[in-house]
Formats: sequence, structure tokens, C-alpha cells
Amino acid sequence: MTRSYINPRSKQVISDEMQLVLLFFTISIAMLFLTYGFLKLKIYTFEESVVRIETKKVELKNSTLKMQHQIQIIEQESDRAEKVVTENSVLKESVKNLFDLVPDRITLSEVELNKNSLVMKGTTPSKEVYEFLLQAPLRSIFNNTYTSFYQAQNGWLSFVSTNTLDDEELLK
Amino acid sequence: MKSMKMSRQSVYLLSITIFLLIFVFLFAFFILIPSGQEYRLARNETNKHAAELSQFEQLNDDTNGQLKSLQEKHRSVINAFANTFNQAKFIAENKKYFQNLTVSKLTKVDRETPFDLYEVNATSKIESPVVFYNFLDSLNKSHWVIGVNFPIHFQKEGEFIVSSFTMRVYNLNDDINESKTAAKKENSTTPAPLKVDVNLTEE
Repeated sequence: MTRSYINPRSKQVISDEMQLVLLFFTISIAMLFLTYGFLKLKIYTFEESVVRIETKKVELKNSTLKMQHQIQIIEQESDRAEKVVTENSVLKESVKNLFDLVPDRITLSEVELNKNSLVMKGTTPSKEVYEFLLQAPLRSIFNNTYTSFYQAQNGWLSFVSTNTLDDEELLK
Repeated sequence: MKSMKMSRQSVYLLSITIFLLIFVFLFAFFILIPSGQEYRLARNETNKHAAELSQFEQLNDDTNGQLKSLQEKHRSVINAFANTFNQAKFIAENKKYFQNLTVSKLTKVDRETPFDLYEVNATSKIESPVVFYNFLDSLNKSHWVIGVNFPIHFQKEGEFIVSSFTMRVYNLNDDINESKTAAKKENSTTPAPLKVDVNLTEE
């Protein structure tokens, strides 16, 4: 016995329209979670980057400090070497000038050169020769000049000349 | 009053929609937005650190360039300071100036001076001090950084002039290893100062 004009169809708990809506909702929620996951991943990546950058910064800082220390040492070396070379040259000129200062008629037997003093021992034919040829230029260089004479065996005069600088002005 | 009838499907749909709406709002306000702010802060922080890193790299490169330039410019000076003083070599190089050469290493008197101090006693067979001038010139071209120090003593002995003076030999090791020296002092294993006497006599 037939009571309907159409064939019976199976009933669904969730209709096709509902399925479509649920699919849409599921996709929406999935997109929300994906966005959240993306943000968390990026935050993690940034934090990792910061750690890496910090490590590299420390390495670079140490490297830079090491190089700056080396630069400082090289500059100190350069300054020191230049100073030593200059001092040697000045010393050479000082000694040279000192010996050039001594006339041929006066013979030196001993010279002691200090930072602020000069002691010379030698012989001179006469006191006048010494005073005129050696003492005068010595007086122009040193603040204090003291000379003592005593008779030498060959008839000449032996002398000991002590010359100092008061204001600690160095010979160099 | 007309009663509103809704189908079961409509009730489901309405319920799910309301649920989704509430969920989206809650998720957005309590999770997504704070995460977004956290993301922005992390990105700014990273950019800030990256900028600082760039500055550090620039400074490092500049310093490296400066160091290379200085090393190139002062190569001979650096080598001279790096060379350990060799008495035998020094004597071999300078014996042409002297008849007799004695080199002895002294201990450091001044603790503030981080350099080794060597004393050189020299006897020269010369008629004029020109040889001494030549010796001073040769010192400035030697393998080490050596400065002649006061007092300088010249004494006539027969045909010769006996010259006596001290020299300061500067060595880099003490500069670089100041911290190491301190560590060594803690271990109290300081080596005994080297004392070498060399006599060369040419007849």
C-alpha cells in the first residue's frame, strides 16, 4: 500500500547544509589555531635569533677588545721604540758634542756622563788653557761647574771637572 | 501571540553559530591579541639586537682594519719587541766594535718597569769615540729594541778607551703576559733570572 507519491529517503542527523556550515566553522577555527601557531613559531624564532645575536655580540665584543688591546700594545711599542731610537741618537750627539768640545791641547783620561752631571778628568798644559778652551763652554751648558787642579808628573796640570745641572734638566 | 516554531536543524545551526562566535571572541581577545603583541615585541627586540650587532660588526671590522694597518706599518718594531734577547747573537753582531764585550742580564730593579734590563760592559780598542757612535747607530738597527742608559763611563787605559755603560733591552713578553706573570707569582714558580757572562777577546 502506497501512501506517498515520492520514494522515501534516508533521514540524516546532520543535513547537507549543516555539514557545509560545520565545515566552514571548522576551517575558521583551524585558521585561528594556525594563526596562533604561526605567531608562537615566529616568537620562538625571534627569541632564538636574539640568543644567537647576543652570543655573537659577546664574541665580537671580546674580539674587538682583544684587537684594541693589541693596538694599544703596538702603539706602546711604537712609542717606546721611537723614544729609544731618539734617546740613542740624542745620546750619540751629546757624547759627540762633548768630545768635540774638548780641544786638542787638553787630554781626557776619564769621563763619566750621568743624567744631570758630567765628571771629566784629564790633563791640561796650563790652567789658563783649560779655563779659556774648556771651562767657558762647560759653564754655558751646566749650572754648576767646579774644577780642581793638581800637578801632574809630566809638568802639566791634572784636573777634575764636576759639572751639574740644578734643575734636573737631563742631558738627553 | 504567534508562537515561533524553529526546526531542529535551525536550532543546531543557531547554537553552533553562537558557540563559534563566543569562541572566536574569547580566543581572539585572550590568546591571539596577546600573542600578537608578544610577537611584535619580540620582532622589535630582534631588530634592536640586530642593529646593535651590525654596529658591533662595523666596530670589529674597523678595529681589525686599524690593527692590520698598524701591524703592517710597525712590522719591524713588533718583531724587534717579540725577539727574545740573545746574548750570543748580540755579541756576534757587535764584536766588530769592541775588543772585549761582556753581557750580563740583571734582575728587574723597578717593578713598575715591565721590561728586561741587561747590563753591557764594553771595552773598545779605539783612538777616538767614533766606534762608540757607530755602535749607537747599529743599536737602532738591531734585532731588538735597545736603549743605552746612564751612567756612561769612559776611561783611558793605554791606547784604549774603556767604555762602561748599561743597556735596556725591551721585550714584549712582559707586556703581554702581565696577567700570566701574576698567575705565575701565585704558583710561586718564578724562574731564576738568567745571568750570562760572555767574554770575547780578539788578539
